[in-house]
Amino acid sequence: MDFELSDDQRAIVEAVDALLAQHAGPKRAIELFASGEYDAALEAALDKAGFLDVALGGETGPLDAALCVEAVARAAGAVAIGASTLVAPGVVGRTLPGPIALASAGASPIVRFGAHARTLLVADSQAGLARIVELSAGDAEPVRSNFGYPMGRVARGLQKSGEALPPGSYERLLAWWRVALATEAAGTMRSALTVTTDYLKQRRQFGRSIASFQAVQHRLAECAVMVEGTRWLALEAAWRGAPVEAAATAVAYATAAAARLFLETHQLSGAIGYTREHNLHVFSMRLEALRLELGGVGDHRRALARARWGGAT
Amino acid sequence: MEFGWTADEQGFRRELLEFLREALPQDWEEIAKDGPGSDVQAGFSRAFCGLLASRGWLTQHWPREYGGRDASPWRHAILGEELWARGEPRGPQYMNVNWIGPTIMAFGSEEQKREHLPRISRGEVLWCQGFSEPQAGSDLVALRTLATRDGDVYVVNGSKIWTSYANYAEFCFLVVRTDPESKRHRGISVLLMPMSLPGVEIREIPSVVGERYFHEVFLSDVRVPVSCRLGPENDGWSVVTYALQFERVGAARYARAALTLDGLAARLAKEGRLADPTVQERLGRARAICEAARLLSYRVIDLRAHGQPPSADSNVARVAGTFADRVVGELGLDLFGPDAFEYGGFAESNFRLAMTAGVAVGATEVQLNLIAQRFLGLPQE
Repeated sequence: MDFELSDDQRAIVEAVDALLAQHAGPKRAIELFASGEYDAALEAALDKAGFLDVALGGETGPLDAALCVEAVARAAGAVAIGASTLVAPGVVGRTLPGPIALASAGASPIVRFGAHARTLLVADSQAGLARIVELSAGDAEPVRSNFGYPMGRVARGLQKSGEALPPGSYERLLAWWRVALATEAAGTMRSALTVTTDYLKQRRQFGRSIASFQAVQHRLAECAVMVEGTRWLALEAAWRGAPVEAAATAVAYATAAAARLFLETHQLSGAIGYTREHNLHVFSMRLEALRLELGGVGDHRRALARARWGGAT
Repeated sequence: MEFGWTADEQGFRRELLEFLREALPQDWEEIAKDGPGSDVQAGFSRAFCGLLASRGWLTQHWPREYGGRDASPWRHAILGEELWARGEPRGPQYMNVNWIGPTIMAFGSEEQKREHLPRISRGEVLWCQGFSEPQAGSDLVALRTLATRDGDVYVVNGSKIWTSYANYAEFCFLVVRTDPESKRHRGISVLLMPMSLPGVEIREIPSVVGERYFHEVFLSDVRVPVSCRLGPENDGWSVVTYALQFERVGAARYARAALTLDGLAARLAKEGRLADPTVQERLGRARAICEAARLLSYRVIDLRAHGQPPSADSNVARVAGTFADRVVGELGLDLFGPDAFEYGGFAESNFRLAMTAGVAVGATEVQLNLIAQRFLGLPQE
C-alpha cells in the first residue's frame, strides 16, 4: 500500500501535465466546443508521447494509465481518453484506432465522441459480449449538446454489427468503462471544485470573501471529501485491473458525487457559473454527461450490490 | 503508488482472523450489545487485551523501547480494521494504544514514559479522556476546569462531561487551565491524573446509546502532583492538537459500517429480498460510501507510514467515516422497519453505536471547518 507517486509515476504525470499545459485547458475546450470539434491535435500529441498505450507497457500498467486519464480530465481535454487508454487495453489487450466511442446496445444512440469516432466499442448485454465496430463516414451524425463533450448519434443497426469479442468481454467492457468513467469524473470534479473555490475566494459580498462564510465552507468541504474519495476508489480499481465489484464501487460513488458537485459548484458560484465566460461550465456540464452514461448511478449501485452479495438482476 | 498488501501484512491478517475465531466467543454479539462501557464488555475487553498483548499485537506499531515491535502503521491499521469490524473487543483500550500512548511518547518525561507506556503496552490499564466540559463542547478552548499551582501539586477544580469509561479508568488524560487569567488556546495544560485521587467524583448520565456510555466527572480540590503534567505548562494546546490528530482516525468506523452492511445483506438474503432493485440500490450506495471511507482512512495511515506530520487528510477521513457509519445505521432501520424496534437486535445495536458518529470526538462541523481552512485553503474572517 503506497498512496504516494513513485518516481516513475511522478515523471509520467509531470510529462502529461506539461503536454496538457500546451495543448489543453478550459480556454481551448471552450473554443473547440463552440465549433463542435474533437481535439485531434491533442490526441495525436498524447499518442506521439506514448501516453495512449501506457496501460500496456512492460513497466507501466492501468494505474499509470488512470493517472493520465485523470490529468487529461482535469485539463478538460476534448479527447476520448478513458476509452483509448483504459477501456481498449483492458478489454482487447491492445490499442484501437481512435477516437473510440463507447455504446450499449439497446440504450440511447447518443454517445460521447460518436460523430468523430473511428472505432465503436459496443456492450451487447443480450448477447453477453462486446463488439468492435469500425465506423465509416455516414455511420454517425453530430448532435448539438450542452453537455461538455462532442456528442454523436450512432446509427442503430451498427450496435449489432462488427467483430464479436470472446465470452467475458461484455463484463470486461462494463468494468473498464466504469473505471474510466470514475477516473474521468475524479479529474473533472477536481477542476470544478478548484474553479469554484478560486472564484469564491476572490468574490466579495456583504463586505467579505464569500469563501469565508461557514455555510459555504462546509458545502465545499463536503465536496472535497467526495472528490478525494472518488479519486482513490478510481485509482485503486484501475490498479486492481477493474474487478467487477471495485469498478462498480468506484463509479457508483463517482456518479453520486458528480451530481452533488454540479449542484454545489453552480449554486455557490451564482449567475457567473452559467456563462461561457467563466470556466465552471466546462467541467460541470461534463460531470452531468459522465453521470448519465452507462445506466447512471442506480445501475452502478445495483451492479455493485449484485457483485458483492449476489441477488438476481 | 500501489494498493496491494505485502506478504507480511496478508499473513498477519490471516493469523489475526484465526486468532479472533478462537478468542471471540460465540455469544460475542450478546456481550457487545450494551456497548463498551457495560460491565460485561469491559470485563471481556480486559482479558482480551491481555491476549493481544501476549502476542505482541496490542502496541506492535510502537517503538521497541516502549514495548512495541516497530511494526508498520499498516499492521496496526489491519488490527484496528478487523477489531472495529467486530464491535471493538479492545473496548476503551483503542484510545490508549492509538493516541494516549503516542502522545506520552512525544511529550512525556522519562519517568512518565516508564510509568505509563509498559502498562498500556501490556493492556493492563484503562484511561478516559477529560476534554469536554458543560460549557466547552465543540468549542474545547472555552474550558474552565482550573488547576492552581500549590508547591509541587496542582489543585484542580471543575468538571468534565460525556466522559466514557470514567467508571473503570485508572487515569484521565485531563485538559485544564493552569493560567486563570488566560483565554482560549493559551494557558492550557494536560495532566495525566490518577482517577483514585480524593475529590474525583463520577456520575453516570443515562443515555439511549448504551450502558454507562456517558459520565460527568466532578473535580473538587483534587491535588494532582506537578509531575503528572504532560508537556509544557500553559502550552498544553500543542499536546492536545497532536493527540487529536491521532484520535480522529483511530477508530476504523468504516470497517464496522462495512461489516454491518454485510450482516444486513446476509439477513436480507435469508428473507429472499436481495433481488429487490430498491434494496440493491440502497445497499450499493452504502457500500460505495464505506469503501470511500476506507481509502480515505488508508490515505492517513499512508502519510504516517511515510513519516509525514498529521494533516487535514485526517479530517477528510473522519468526515467520510462518520458518513459511512450514519448511512449504514439508518439503512438498517429502513430495511427492517419496526422489527428493528427491539433492543439488542442487529440493526438496532448498530444504529445505537452509529448515531453518535457525527458528535463523538469532535463534531462533524468542526471537521468541516478544518477541511475548509487547511485542505482547501479557504479564508477565515
